[in-house]
Amino acid sequence: MAKSDDCMHILQGLLVFGNVVIGMCGIALTAECIYVVSNPHGAYPLLKATESSGIYTAAWIGIFVGLALFALSILGIIGVIKASRTLLLVYIILMLITFAFEMASSITAATNQDSLTPNVFLKQMLERYQKSEPNNNSDDDVTKTWDELMRQNHCCGVNGPSDWQNYTSAFRSTHSDADYPWPRVCCVLDAKGLPVNLDGCKLGVSGYYNSNGCYDAMSGPVNAHAWGVAWFGFAILCWTFCVLLGTMFYWSGIEY
Amino acid sequence: MWADGDHRRLPGDAGQLPHSRPRHRGARTMIPLLLLLLPAAHGIVELGTIPALTQDRLEGVTTATTFVLEQPRCIFGNFSNAVIWLVVALDKDASAFNNSAEPGTPETAFQSFPDTVSAYMTLNATLASYPCPKPAGDITVLRVGSETSCATDVSRPTCNGPLPGPGPYWVKFLALEGSVPVAETAWSERITLRTAKPLSSISTAGSGHSAGMIAITAILSILLAILLAALVAMLFSCGSDSCGSSTFSKPESVSVQRYNTHHVYDQAAARL
Repeated sequence: MAKSDDCMHILQGLLVFGNVVIGMCGIALTAECIYVVSNPHGAYPLLKATESSGIYTAAWIGIFVGLALFALSILGIIGVIKASRTLLLVYIILMLITFAFEMASSITAATNQDSLTPNVFLKQMLERYQKSEPNNNSDDDVTKTWDELMRQNHCCGVNGPSDWQNYTSAFRSTHSDADYPWPRVCCVLDAKGLPVNLDGCKLGVSGYYNSNGCYDAMSGPVNAHAWGVAWFGFAILCWTFCVLLGTMFYWSGIEY
Repeated sequence: MWADGDHRRLPGDAGQLPHSRPRHRGARTMIPLLLLLLPAAHGIVELGTIPALTQDRLEGVTTATTFVLEQPRCIFGNFSNAVIWLVVALDKDASAFNNSAEPGTPETAFQSFPDTVSAYMTLNATLASYPCPKPAGDITVLRVGSETSCATDVSRPTCNGPLPGPGPYWVKFLALEGSVPVAETAWSERITLRTAKPLSSISTAGSGHSAGMIAITAILSILLAILLAALVAMLFSCGSDSCGSSTFSKPESVSVQRYNTHHVYDQAAARL
């Protein structure tokens, strides 16, 4: 009897500790998701234009899940200390709902990452960059974003300047191939924003044009955000799983 | 280069061959001499150089409407008075080009190429533009197709305009003194330009699911299933008070009341 009493005390202590950790992780998850949502990197308009901004959906869910985890962990601590069956049952059920939501958020973030291949951006860039009659604001945004991206990162196109040679594009229909084998922003520009050597740029002499593609510069921050949300959520859920199992065992051991 | 219609005869052989009439010696030497003079009268020196695309690693060696050639340096060394022209022809018409065609005429105008004109002449330069030897480290190239301003201007038949299609094209250099061709290079290899694939051919289908995403989905689904099963088991087996009756007791404040059956001890202490 005393031994099982001790076991239960130990279990109590473990559950309190587990809930404390869940509470802290909930706060951390909220903070991380607020960072992702409020700090869109430069390529955000491109993501919005591809209509696959699932990462932001996942981050918004993550904010609320984090707060819920924090609140529920406090409820859990109280329930464990008071050994109240009702409180703990409420705790378990609400935790399961939160578990399901966080699972959805984590899977959404991971799936969204897989769908953002270079070809998606390539097609969007060729269709919309410098479109002569922009349909709506988002076409203008795409052009401006690409210009910014190419200027700041000293890159050209998605895979390289040959993107404009290998495929037809909206840009090509308004700019002749002989004068503009690739857009002027792909040239090395001086302080005034003019090409340092226009002929060198048109020929493709290394040093006068940017030869590498922008995909790496673009996908780096997006990947970091998405995998951060996905994997941190996964880690929290693994811990929560253990705590919930322990709580269920504890609940079944409480005298009614 | 030149050959007798007959076998070659050396002087002195005449007597040994049967059925041959001895010919006058002078006549025999006249024919080779005449034949030797003929190319000099024509005037075209055929240089064996083959014009080629530039060896430098440039991104724009060929684009959809332009290509980049090596400059003809150290080739036309003896012809300091000549003007060197570039002849561009489509693959099938190259052999039909007549060297005596004059540049700047409607027969060689860029604007009519390739509809009515089989080859056009452009990029004229004197030998001074191609100094020999070539300074090391310099990029010496000719960009064919770079002038867009005169592409439809018929008053500029020697325009270096953008090429009208992917080719394939043959080029050669021709040196003219006045309007007389004096030297030419051989025809180049076929030059084919880039063709742009249509935009719709880019497939944006996802590359499948990465290992990470599959791991997350699978593991979390299993965990959720286990939790739900445990919840169901917990509720069904412990719905009544059948569990936990002997294992744990609530930490309520238990007050133990002590009952003294007699007040003996107090009175005894008070008496003492």
